[in-house]
Amino acid sequence: MAFDRLLNVARKEFSDHITSRRFIIILALFLVISAVSIHDGIENYNNSLESYNDQLQRMEEFQDPYTSWMPEKPSIMYVFISMMSYMAALGGILALAIGFDLVSKEKESRSLKTLLSHPIYRDEIINGKVLGGVGALGFAMGLALALAVAMLLLFSIVPTLDEFAAILIFGAASLGFLLAYFAIALTMSTVAKESGNALIYTLVIFAIVTSLLPMFGMMAANAFAGDPPEPPEMGPMATEVVHTASGGGYTVTSSRSVAVSGSGSPEIDPAWREYEEEMRAYVEKRQLINDVSNILSPQMNYYQVAMAVTNPQISMMSSYMYGGATQEDPGGLADALGRVWMNIAALIVFPAVFFAATYVKFMRMDIR
Amino acid sequence: MIRTENLTKVYNGKAAVDGLDLEVGEGEIFGFLGPNGAGKSTTILMLTGMIEPTGGRCLVDGIEVAKEPLKVKEIIGYLPEDVGFYGNMTGEQNLDYFARFYGMDARKRKERIAELLELVHLGGVTQKAGEYSRGMKQRLGLAQALINDPKVLFLDEPTANLDPEGVREYRDLVEHLAGEGKTVFVSSHILSEVREVCRSVGLLAKGKLVAQGTLDEVARTLAPSDGDAVRIVVETRERLPDLEDPEIIGVERNGTRAVVQAKTDIRDRLAASLFEQGLHVREMRIEEPDIEDVFMAVYRR
Repeated sequence: MAFDRLLNVARKEFSDHITSRRFIIILALFLVISAVSIHDGIENYNNSLESYNDQLQRMEEFQDPYTSWMPEKPSIMYVFISMMSYMAALGGILALAIGFDLVSKEKESRSLKTLLSHPIYRDEIINGKVLGGVGALGFAMGLALALAVAMLLLFSIVPTLDEFAAILIFGAASLGFLLAYFAIALTMSTVAKESGNALIYTLVIFAIVTSLLPMFGMMAANAFAGDPPEPPEMGPMATEVVHTASGGGYTVTSSRSVAVSGSGSPEIDPAWREYEEEMRAYVEKRQLINDVSNILSPQMNYYQVAMAVTNPQISMMSSYMYGGATQEDPGGLADALGRVWMNIAALIVFPAVFFAATYVKFMRMDIR
Repeated sequence: MIRTENLTKVYNGKAAVDGLDLEVGEGEIFGFLGPNGAGKSTTILMLTGMIEPTGGRCLVDGIEVAKEPLKVKEIIGYLPEDVGFYGNMTGEQNLDYFARFYGMDARKRKERIAELLELVHLGGVTQKAGEYSRGMKQRLGLAQALINDPKVLFLDEPTANLDPEGVREYRDLVEHLAGEGKTVFVSSHILSEVREVCRSVGLLAKGKLVAQGTLDEVARTLAPSDGDAVRIVVETRERLPDLEDPEIIGVERNGTRAVVQAKTDIRDRLAASLFEQGLHVREMRIEEPDIEDVFMAVYRR
């Protein structure tokens, strides 16, 4: 019976969401933009595939295909890279839009008091609301993924089992990201007395976690890591390697000293070796501070996880660009996800914390 | 049917309800009177299991509300003051949503909802509840309070938004429900409203129960105390002469009319004396305290 009551609330909430004008408009916009970006992604994929086939053919013509560089076959997951940035923008708005007045509107219309006069516990109401919201966001996410797969099939691109698993994981990560913003909005809706205030609070937190936190991370990294070590005046020069990883709205650029090239001498100046060590420690320290602040931003976590799924090579580059050892083979999907386990955990913990705060506040709410 | 024992609710160090002891019998229409802010709604919220008391306890049909709120909610109906609904749903959809919490099957829900909507004159209304007038909302509120055919009905300011016709229908409905054996607990600050429908009342002021009983009993309890003195209204056709009696404490005269304050009921002696003086007595009665004045005095405390 307890589950029936919770389900009754969840069913009503889900139905309210998917029939609300606000949800339909944002979802329609989201799907249209997704379709366009997937279409572009498919074109890029087809071009990459064509170029890959050309390279293979050329290598076969040289009759020495395995001793030289082997081109990598493009993955259909590249199609989803552009979807990532739209998900972060419009998906985030959708999540905020369905959550910001979920409780405050009921307080304003006094329907909460009427509802509570019937045989139902408060926790069943808030859990039902969460379930209904999760269902609506899952429904939106499901539609977007179904649209993407349908378009792939329409263009005669059939995902392999692994790729299909990757698509599902991408969907799960995207849903986790949407839930983070839904949780923020729901908490603010419970805290604020009016929906207008709830919306303002939600937008403020949205701005903090999406823009301010990463910015503060950079500033903190600059402040705490200090100035980079100065290179020695004499001796062989370190080779500066610049990595740029990009996808969707996400770009990581960094530099690292990976090798020292001397002018014919195999001996490396000890001063240079020391400089290299100091530089590595400096970059690692900066990265650690940056990572700590980024872990609080659902957007950054989502980018990391989604990049690991859609483009493991770029994800690996950004993971290893500061470390000592590089890895040539990005490994499978499990390896890619293993590298971003902290971000995955953060995507789960972030909404959980906000949902817990909502729960506590709702249970103690004055309903007079 | 309803009992509270030392029921107390404290908000921010201030007692909204202070040691309330109340008893309402089965099938009674009980009026819970008191000025705004007296603690009536807080008491109802505790009785309906929506908030927990700080101290004491309350029981409905022998069930302790704080311990088993859901069990109590199964047998009660509650019409809150300024009742609210889901504006995006019709009245029927709102009622259907609430009815599901009672485990009613689809057919039973449909029948009950149709019956209730007819009862409150909202049958066939297809508007969304968000477009309802306040009176319509109030009537829908009454329907939602009756959705589970409750044993006890709590009505908080039930006539606040009703037009005269709606008020008359509400009174008939309450009488009808009491006739079915339901206990009706009506909270209001409007004496005239309670007077019309309630057989017994409780008067609450500053969180404390000031008096309980029938309206006359309560009025007598609360009337300004003159010891055992009685006030006798006298009116004669001719101008009243000086009235003399050892029991008389004071006389307020006004031409042919006077209010005599006496230690005991001296109407017989007074009538005989006036007759002996050749006066024609038009009126002679014990003055009952004016109930409105008595309640207003409590409200102003």
